[in-house]
Amino acid sequence: MSTPLKTTGWDFVTTTVDKRALQRQPPADPRVELRELEARGEVKIIPITADNRPIEVETLLGRTKRIPTNKLWHHKSCGQCGNIPGYPTSIMWLMNRLGLEYLDESHQTSCTAWNYHGSGTSNLVALAAVAVRNWHRAYETGYYPLIHCGTSFGNYKEIRNLLVEHRELRDEVRRILNKVGRELVIPEEIVHYSEWLHVLRKPVAAMNRYDVSHIVATVHPACHVWKLIPEDVIYDRTIYGGERPAPTTAILLELGADVRDYSTWYDCCGFGFRHILTEREFSRSFSIERKIKVMVDEAQSDVAITQDTGCTTTLDKNQWIGQAHGYHYDLPVMADVQFAALLAGADPYKVVQLQWHTAGWEKLLDKIGIDWRTPKAEYERYLEELRAGKAPDQLYPPPVE
Amino acid sequence: MVDASETHLKLDPDAVGRQDADSLLRAIQSDIRYREVVHGCLNCGVCSGSCPSHRFFDYSPRVVVQTVLAGDAEAVKAMMDEYIWACAQCYTCAMRCPLHNSPGGLVMIMREVAVWRGMEAVHRLLKPYGRVLLKVLSIGNQLTPDMIQPDFFPDWGPKIPWSSTDLALKRKAIPVYTLQVTSSAWRVSPETSYELYTIYEETGVFRLIEQIDPNLFEVVSDMVEEVRELVEAGRDD
Ligand code: SF4
Ligand code: SF4
Repeated sequence: MSTPLKTTGWDFVTTTVDKRALQRQPPADPRVELRELEARGEVKIIPITADNRPIEVETLLGRTKRIPTNKLWHHKSCGQCGNIPGYPTSIMWLMNRLGLEYLDESHQTSCTAWNYHGSGTSNLVALAAVAVRNWHRAYETGYYPLIHCGTSFGNYKEIRNLLVEHRELRDEVRRILNKVGRELVIPEEIVHYSEWLHVLRKPVAAMNRYDVSHIVATVHPACHVWKLIPEDVIYDRTIYGGERPAPTTAILLELGADVRDYSTWYDCCGFGFRHILTEREFSRSFSIERKIKVMVDEAQSDVAITQDTGCTTTLDKNQWIGQAHGYHYDLPVMADVQFAALLAGADPYKVVQLQWHTAGWEKLLDKIGIDWRTPKAEYERYLEELRAGKAPDQLYPPPVE
Repeated sequence: MVDASETHLKLDPDAVGRQDADSLLRAIQSDIRYREVVHGCLNCGVCSGSCPSHRFFDYSPRVVVQTVLAGDAEAVKAMMDEYIWACAQCYTCAMRCPLHNSPGGLVMIMREVAVWRGMEAVHRLLKPYGRVLLKVLSIGNQLTPDMIQPDFFPDWGPKIPWSSTDLALKRKAIPVYTLQVTSSAWRVSPETSYELYTIYEETGVFRLIEQIDPNLFEVVSDMVEEVRELVEAGRDD
């Protein structure tokens, strides 16, 4: 870190309020109870096996979490796949480069939690049944679920805990799952892709072709990743003194970027679940006033790095309208995994798919020294080839239809 | 305060319209999650001090928790109409509360009750949600590439028209097979949708939509029927 942590009221809150509350009354470890439930034959655990090549890390309360790195089932995010396609593509591209095995397929639904948080038109049992259906699908393929979306990750951590705590919920979910020929299974750990990237940060950084020591990166940590079930989040004493989650910041440091702090690090992005659709002025004002403006004015940020779907969209898409009020920040926004893939040589258009991003990212690539003009021309040619009937390139062989 | 034996996992979709204040408060307090989201309240305001919506709206999570704890059913009912919908669901409050409350989680329970009882505000609030609901109910995706249109997002700037023209071609240029589609975020197999419909049926979600938005339900029903016929025909082969 090139700047000391901001000494604002937040320091008091994080060190005195958050941790005091959790450490005085540490919540039960659901994984212990889960093993007891399995021993009683109530549930099956999806185990992390040697094939998954797990790496151990520490979470907020010093507990050990095992992060699988191989043989992973992509639990995709609808917001990423629909709107930021370079997000999942970068994950799979990095897995290819690292020689890791994975399965991406069509037998997956989203977690449905964005809609739930925004509109309330679901319920706990439906959310839990959807989660277990996806987990069970991963289980029957022999691949371990890797959750791409921050809201799915937060939601699945909650659902796992509630399933462990409430027999009546388990019974109801089991009854419904049996109707679709499935069983009640719960993964040994709920794992977010940013955790996967975090534990593999050294091999990923070893692929970096560029010096980014002059690139100022500011991190926006995703609320549903670290504020929902905060005790199940990776902390590392060498990152922010162990006071804030380590994923995303740690990979940026490993890549050699100049990661800078800013005073509204803790704030949300303004997504709001319903606000991005129905209270747009809140999303716009909050993302500009409380995030983008502060990142640029305080930290002179060259790029905002995210770790989730809604945040990437909100921070990126809401900047243009700010010009109406004289805000011309135009700060590039991308996920940690897109930034890492770019530095490892991924094509900015074909793989990282930056053309879908709204804030101008070209100046960032110029500053790093990544040529985007040639890939742009190649991409335009490639579109014409596809139009003429050429079969598309694929990161993995598609199934035979 | 309700006792533990009265807790419930989900609400009855056929209770839409039951909106007397006492029954709404009872439905909130008997949710199985209620005891995990409210453990008392110090009235300290740490939650509101961290709350993004408190900064921009006339809204305070401290007031939500205090009002529910005070048991003032009429005041709680009044909040469910508009007030609680300001919450951005970020859960900063939950991480900060010295009593381990989750005001955001309480708001979520209140939203669920407001919707499942068909409160007036819900019809107004859900209107802009029609497209998301249609997708989530029919294919379990919530956002799809064809939803990003300049008409809906004029404030997102001049690059949005690029994203929405020649969409099928640009999606085909994404080198991931499952993503080379436009009306869903990824290819969703009919078998998967089929299973999802059973979940929605068994949990009352379809029945709820039928009650609160019959037009949307009609459209969804047609899609459900089509997928079911397709999957069942495949099973017969
Ligand atoms: S979850 Fe809602 S109440 Fe809590 S801090 Fe976020 S916006 Fe405020
Ligand atoms: S932080 Fe917790 S105890 Fe304090 S006012 Fe909010 S809900 Fe009550």
